[in-house]
Amino acid sequence: MSSRSQAAVVRSAGTDRALAILLGLLILAGGAAVLLVGAGAFGTARAGRPLVDPIAAGWVAANRLPALGIAIAAGLLLLVLGLAWTARSVRPEAKPDVVLDRSPATGLTVTSGALSDAVAADAGTVEGVDRVRVRLVGDPDHPALRLTLWLRQGADLRTVWDELDSRVLARAREALAVSTLPAAVRIELNAAPRQRVA
Amino acid sequence: MLVLLRLLAPLLGLAVAATGALLAVEASWTLVRPRSGPLLVPWPAWRDTLASYSWSDSAVLVAGGVLALIGLLLVLVAGRARRQVVRMTDPAAEVTVVTSPRSLARLVGQRVRDEDGVDAASVTATARRVRVRVRAISRLTTEAALRPALTSLVTDLVTTLPLARTPRVQVVVDSPKDRR
Repeated sequence: MSSRSQAAVVRSAGTDRALAILLGLLILAGGAAVLLVGAGAFGTARAGRPLVDPIAAGWVAANRLPALGIAIAAGLLLLVLGLAWTARSVRPEAKPDVVLDRSPATGLTVTSGALSDAVAADAGTVEGVDRVRVRLVGDPDHPALRLTLWLRQGADLRTVWDELDSRVLARAREALAVSTLPAAVRIELNAAPRQRVA
Repeated sequence: MLVLLRLLAPLLGLAVAATGALLAVEASWTLVRPRSGPLLVPWPAWRDTLASYSWSDSAVLVAGGVLALIGLLLVLVAGRARRQVVRMTDPAAEVTVVTSPRSLARLVGQRVRDEDGVDAASVTATARRVRVRVRAISRLTTEAALRPALTSLVTDLVTTLPLARTPRVQVVVDSPKDRR
């Protein structure tokens, strides 16, 4: 079991999930606090006070400059964080190139598109495969393959797998001169009717 | 859920950014021009309205409840946002093979519908369980006859697939012969 190939199955949503949960917890805590104060959990006297507490308002009026400074700083921080989050989540998934030779003089890189096309062409010739989609995922230091195969009705999964591994993936590994190439294979079973042999 | 999260995330980010921008702009404006009114949003009017409420007012309690609910929903949606995949046994090191619950359901459904005596079948599959709901056509077939046959058929089918975890199979048969 490899975590790199596992991670390549689906684009990671970890950051979005963590930030959304954090925001959700903050809002939940805020709402719960309002409910608790209003229901008298901190004393009925406090529950009767106005929302804009006169003591707090008085402090702000007395310390205008620091209060406004804090507000500006907080506002800028939220602005930056919010924009960073949006930019990150809107960015399409990276398609890293595979760098085979990092020496400054020569340097050899296989572009993501070239490798994907080559593997896809190979995989399409496997018997039982109707359609293939291949892309590279991950980062330039740790690229991984993600293949999606649509199989025909009646295709034997094990034969498809054997051919895929012994021919397609082995060729890719050979071409890149690596011993292992993390790969995530998504299989759609029974996606196309049986091929009629004329 | 995952799609929902991916759609929500940039919107939430923009909402946070907009709140921060408004806060920074209004605070700067008040600092620079304390005597003229607010610039973008009528926040002094908002502040005065809020000051007229107390914590124990029903409107405030309702607002607090709504906020708590929104926060909870967000946590639940984000927490449950995962792509459903059905793992297959790893055929080699550094290779992970998966399929989707929908394709598993499609496979089972086609096979079940090919059986004699089956008029229609609907299959739902999750990573843990394959549930088949079959409507039998034949007047001669009762549930007692068809169900074990179908269950063993689907179980065999599902076992021949190299799934990492064999899902539990559940077959329900509605037969007109039983409704008498």
